Amino acid sequence: MRETPLSNCERDFLLKSIEAKKRLDGRQTYDYRNIKITFGTDYGCCTVCLGKTRVLAQVSCELVPPKDARPTEGLMFFNLELSPMASPGFQSNRQSELLVTLNRQLERCLRNSRCIDTESLCVISGEKVWQIRVDVHVLNHDGNLMDAASVAAISALSHFKRPEVAIQGRDVTVFSPEERDPVPLSVYHMPICVSFAFFQQGTYLLVDPCEKEEQVMDGLLVIAMNKHREICFIQSSGGIMLLKDQVLRCSKIASVKVSEITELISKALENDKRVRKEGGKFGFAESVAKERITVLTREEAPLEMTDVQATADEIISKADAPPEVVPSPVIVATGTGQVGEGLQSTWGLEDDDDEEEEMSDLTEREKKKDEVMVISDSEEEEVVILNQAGQSKCS
Amino acid sequence: MDIIHSCFKAQIGEVVLPGDVFRFNVSSVEDDSSVKAEKIICGPGLRRNGDEIQVYKSGILRHKQPNLYWIDSQQKRYVPVKGESVIGIVTAKTGDIFKVDVGSSEQASLSYLAFEGATKRNRPNVQVGDLVYAQFIIANKDMEPELVCIDSCGRANGMGVFGADGLLFKVSLGLVRRLLSPQSEIVKDLEKIFPFEMVVGLNGRVWIKAKTIQQTLIVANLLESCENMTAQQRQALFKRVADGAL
Amino acid sequence: MELDIGSSVLREFGSEQSLLSKPDGSATFMQGDTSVLVGVYGPAEVKVNKEIYDRATLEVLIQPKSGMPSVRERTREQCVRETCEAALLSTLHPRSSLTLVMQVVHDDGSLLACCLNAACTALMDAGLPMSRLFCGVTCAIDAESQIITDPTAQQEKESRALMTFAIDSKEHNVMMSSTKGSFSVKEMQQCIAVSQKASERIFQFYRDSVKRRYSKIL
Repeated sequence: MRETPLSNCERDFLLKSIEAKKRLDGRQTYDYRNIKITFGTDYGCCTVCLGKTRVLAQVSCELVPPKDARPTEGLMFFNLELSPMASPGFQSNRQSELLVTLNRQLERCLRNSRCIDTESLCVISGEKVWQIRVDVHVLNHDGNLMDAASVAAISALSHFKRPEVAIQGRDVTVFSPEERDPVPLSVYHMPICVSFAFFQQGTYLLVDPCEKEEQVMDGLLVIAMNKHREICFIQSSGGIMLLKDQVLRCSKIASVKVSEITELISKALENDKRVRKEGGKFGFAESVAKERITVLTREEAPLEMTDVQATADEIISKADAPPEVVPSPVIVATGTGQVGEGLQSTWGLEDDDDEEEEMSDLTEREKKKDEVMVISDSEEEEVVILNQAGQSKCS
Repeated sequence: MDIIHSCFKAQIGEVVLPGDVFRFNVSSVEDDSSVKAEKIICGPGLRRNGDEIQVYKSGILRHKQPNLYWIDSQQKRYVPVKGESVIGIVTAKTGDIFKVDVGSSEQASLSYLAFEGATKRNRPNVQVGDLVYAQFIIANKDMEPELVCIDSCGRANGMGVFGADGLLFKVSLGLVRRLLSPQSEIVKDLEKIFPFEMVVGLNGRVWIKAKTIQQTLIVANLLESCENMTAQQRQALFKRVADGAL
Repeated sequence: MELDIGSSVLREFGSEQSLLSKPDGSATFMQGDTSVLVGVYGPAEVKVNKEIYDRATLEVLIQPKSGMPSVRERTREQCVRETCEAALLSTLHPRSSLTLVMQVVHDDGSLLACCLNAACTALMDAGLPMSRLFCGVTCAIDAESQIITDPTAQQEKESRALMTFAIDSKEHNVMMSSTKGSFSVKEMQQCIAVSQKASERIFQFYRDSVKRRYSKIL
């Protein structure tokens, strides 16, 4: 499917409004859209809504042998998916440039910043370590996927709990959550990406660009930072020349945004923890806004089942008794078995042909075989001719 | 006549779902020889299936005198209909036609001769990415849709290339129809806040231009928010904006 | 063996429509903790190699929460696609594509049924032409031969047989069935009867949710 093209009118208007310090949704230059973080019923499941952009992250783990070079370190695997749900332009299982960039950035943000203690994921040195897998699904694309994905991934990682294990000699026992409480990952710090869009060769700058703004921007600067104001990675794309001052200014803005977002994540985590402890209801079903007119829910209720038994009995009593099946194996040739003869084939389209074949006696079948042989022969010849033609062309 | 209408009457203005049917008792019509053959027109969302009328879209059943029935639904995707006016984005120039994106499953074609005063020599000035306000002359599920920017007399009649300034945005098809309906209050209420120019395409695209960028953005955001609001809520909101610091 | 069907319940269920801005129609459907999100695009442009001259091409994609789609997702996709094909009037939009993308948000049993319900809600939201609605109901038969409707993952694990039916809104016929485990004809008929009963509540829910959605522009 195709994306709706951007008209000249939209482009001109966007650039003009950026010059006039106005944004489409009424935000100020340095404002983020609303961020909403909700956790699922599973540990390590989290959705993040950044305005209309929406991503879902799920963390899972499994026991794998470690890499030879680092026998005592657990593995981290990141997989960001641009689901075709998010935008008509996205196709499933196609490596687009955007997908590769986002995956690489997510990896740099979370793995290379060593925010997760990988050594604590070691079970038996050189033999078994935990592999932590983070799947991030983009569900709706309205710009700034990177920031949303990084927030979702780190929130999910902080929320996740892996099963407890016990080691006896070389045997590893993995306990289910009922047997022993699962353990959370040790998260050293939370790197969060903040994106800056540049317009008119870097003259104008916007934080958290929406999709339309992304379509007209000249360049993008992504800064990943944690709340201790340590920069985890920085990436400038689009080929714009930035002044030293601009980068510094951006990093200052980023530090403010990061501390706000970190605060939000910890609050959301605390809230989820509290509700779980109190035994209240949690998960996505509880987080939908019930006052919206597009939302409707129904309470659990028993079904009225008075006449069900009767209906079922009636249907069965009305139904014809299944035909008696008398097995009558026929031996056509040694080593084969066949039940019945000339039965109607129920395989659909090729019914008629099959039937004919079934009806025909052995000699006819042999004839057919011969015919087939002839056809295949002639085909082969054709192939040869084609090859020759190709060769002559080549030479 | 009444017999046919009576089966709809109870449901007018009510929500119907796909699979709902309207049945009329044909035998009673035949018995009464004084009844002439009457027709009803099934608009969008209704189709005839044997001697019953079947609903195939969810929405509200609407009726227009004397005999027109249709389903009013809120959807986003546009399907071309002959005679409807839409806002298209020119995506390509090929030979003597422009390819225009109207948000449907297929790009529409627009001949360069289908502009007011256009001749083989005097081609209209249309660039890729321009907006055109045009009307469907061919719209059929089996054929490529075709647009024109002139009416049957060869006059532009408001159609053609537009949008040097101003903002284009998308709303639902239901809202667009509500904006265009003669008894619509939305535009009248909005005009009271400040003056603006507006082009509304039935494909859900709306173009707005007010005096300043700020005002254009306000109008656009207000219109978008009208999607799910009752008249009272809307008027209260508009009043707040009018009274505000703007 | 006599089946006990006195204690059938549907877990708390709900849906939200039009929650995504990009797709032409979207919906999420929740049954207990099981939750599926669906985005629908269409009628949209179709790839030349997938074009069908007299009807729309329907594609269904189910994305698991972690990992890549596997055979299990493909089977579910096929079940959903065949049900949707039976309900959609795809001949009204020839040479176009209808795409349903489903994201499993949480699986706590009755996932296929939840997928079907979410798909139907999203198709309605997109305003695609449908001759009828459909819904999915899962029934499990446990070791004591008791029918459990809308089972949780735990109940599914302990069950002897598992059946999911797609029921149509017009005659309450079975449009699709997917079964696992062994059961007698009588048991299946009873499960169908139970599902038909349960479907009435879901269809009523569809009607109420559409009513609620249009309540401001009636």
